[in-house]
Amino acid sequence: MGENAPMKCFARILGIAVGAVFLIAGAMKAWNPAQFASDVQNYRLLTWTSVVMVALYLPWLEIVSGAALVFGIARRGSIAICTGLMLVFIGALISAKLRGLDIDCGCFGHTGPHGITWPLLRDALLLAALLFLLFRETRAPR
Amino acid sequence: MRRQIVALLLLALAPALLAAFFHPRRPSWRTDEITVAVAQSWKDALWLDARPRDAFEHAHVPGALLLNEDEWNDLLPAVLDAWNPDRNVVVYCSSLSCQASRDVARRLREEAQFSRVFVLQGGWEAWEKTHR
Repeated sequence: MGENAPMKCFARILGIAVGAVFLIAGAMKAWNPAQFASDVQNYRLLTWTSVVMVALYLPWLEIVSGAALVFGIARRGSIAICTGLMLVFIGALISAKLRGLDIDCGCFGHTGPHGITWPLLRDALLLAALLFLLFRETRAPR
Repeated sequence: MRRQIVALLLLALAPALLAAFFHPRRPSWRTDEITVAVAQSWKDALWLDARPRDAFEHAHVPGALLLNEDEWNDLLPAVLDAWNPDRNVVVYCSSLSCQASRDVARRLREEAQFSRVFVLQGGWEAWEKTHR
């Protein structure tokens, strides 16, 4: 028996919403990769060369995966990538918090409130949504 | 799922490569963070203090000029007067965990077209430690 329509509709809307967040966040970073590199460097986790590679590549990975999720293309792959990215983001934020770094998240360029507590909560919510979608997708028949 | 992941990873690579070569705001590949020892070895460096005015007035690196984002427009002319293209610029803020020096360094590169701008690793805290 097929899945009920309201749940299917909810999962689709959730996928579009989460994909849109990635799409917007990626676009804001891709607009100014130099600024994003500076934000990544503030986490003090990578060498400068790695920071530059991340600053150039990660925004486009967010854009491509977010767009795929919004338009329902390569859903499993895009959900898996977004989940992986979210785990990395949360790990970086927790690490910054534990080290007492007074930095901006850099999640949406330089917009949003200063600090990392609110971004951490937001990312945890997004991760929960992605895990729900991933669980659903991997259980669904191909 | 694996094929989809690989396809998406490769798809993102193309615009990223284009950005690496042609984006007007692409980051420089050169490391821009330096230690106190390296900065001190530059005898003619222009030191810029990116902390708030009260911290600067309390104490600062000898010869440093104040340049923070709160008073950017008022303070920038003095910096431009002191700067010349052959001078390395060293920007610092309070400590390892602050970000003001990075923001000021980025604005100097983007808005004032400064080319040799470096951020002092550890900031004022690191400077103080080596001068106790």
